[in-house]
Amino acid sequence: MSEATHEHDHHGQLPGTIGHVSSWQTLVKVLVTLLILTVVTVAIAQADLGRLNVVGAIGVACVKAGVVALWFMHLRYDKRFNFFILVGSFALVAWMIGYILFDTMLYQHNVQDYKRDRQAPATP
Amino acid sequence: MGTGVAEHETKHETLPARPPELAMHFDNMHQQFHSGKLGMWLFLGQELLFFCGLFTAYAVYRGNHQEMFHYAHYFLDTKMGAANTVVLLVSSMTAAWSVRCAMLEQRKGLLITLALTFLCAGAFMVVKYFEYAHKLHIGAVWGNGFHVQTADLPPELLAKYPEMTGEKLKDMGVGSFFAVYFCMTGLHGLHVLVGMGLYVWLFIRALKGHFSRRWYGAVDNVALYWHIVDIIWIFLFPLLYLIG
Repeated sequence: MSEATHEHDHHGQLPGTIGHVSSWQTLVKVLVTLLILTVVTVAIAQADLGRLNVVGAIGVACVKAGVVALWFMHLRYDKRFNFFILVGSFALVAWMIGYILFDTMLYQHNVQDYKRDRQAPATP
Repeated sequence: MGTGVAEHETKHETLPARPPELAMHFDNMHQQFHSGKLGMWLFLGQELLFFCGLFTAYAVYRGNHQEMFHYAHYFLDTKMGAANTVVLLVSSMTAAWSVRCAMLEQRKGLLITLALTFLCAGAFMVVKYFEYAHKLHIGAVWGNGFHVQTADLPPELLAKYPEMTGEKLKDMGVGSFFAVYFCMTGLHGLHVLVGMGLYVWLFIRALKGHFSRRWYGAVDNVALYWHIVDIIWIFLFPLLYLIG
């Protein structure tokens, strides 16, 4: 964002203000959205959807996190670079969890076999 | 040498004075503000990776012991978790509002929103205290320390699985769920406590009239930190309290 765009009067912004001022209406709307999404999360968890419960709960949580980041954390109006720091971190988080889960699922049966063999009485 | 300085001063006499808040190594207030913010964002990115270790532990334990997680989730009170979610969301809004007040130089509004954010954080910790106290009381703790008597099991759990006993749960390894639970919520709670300290600091500075439309980086950066604490709770709440 160029500095010049901040100079115009926006939501009663004082001249020379650094950054973008959120209107109080926006803040209230964002809070209401987040509260509604919380109710949705609880409703999804209460319904018995099998594996979809986890996917749904994490999906709604991601949407909520996005809403917080874009409006409360001002990323919509901020420098792009800060946005990429957040998205990059999230990508690394997803990569690490995904890769380790993949790995542990792939070898878990070996661990189980090993445990069972150790517990089995030694054959004479 | 002395004449050189004098010449230099007369030459730039018409330039506006450097604001007292502007540190010597920055050109202007914009550069100073955005440098501080970049530093904050890098810290927040690191915070996510820091918590990622615990989320990975959660995912691996859960993937390998789905049944145990199902029984364990009966120990968590959804109502208390939901109440804390609402409290944190409201505090996130008041934190964002405090940034707005600082930018508009509304001193009274700034003090009110900072105080409200602090109070919401305090309410979160009070709820957390009751949750922890109950778990420690019945012995729903980490690892081999788990020693809940059958009579102390959650009523919903006993209603659905009348055969279940505290011993069976211990043998199943429910203690490792509570290790994950206490590590995740404990580390998060520690962040809330740090946030409360930061809001006291901001409140004192606002009382002294430190902030202006060009000098509110501290309010903005602490609010960013507070939002990340909120985002982490947004994930913790469904993962720990809701999914059975």
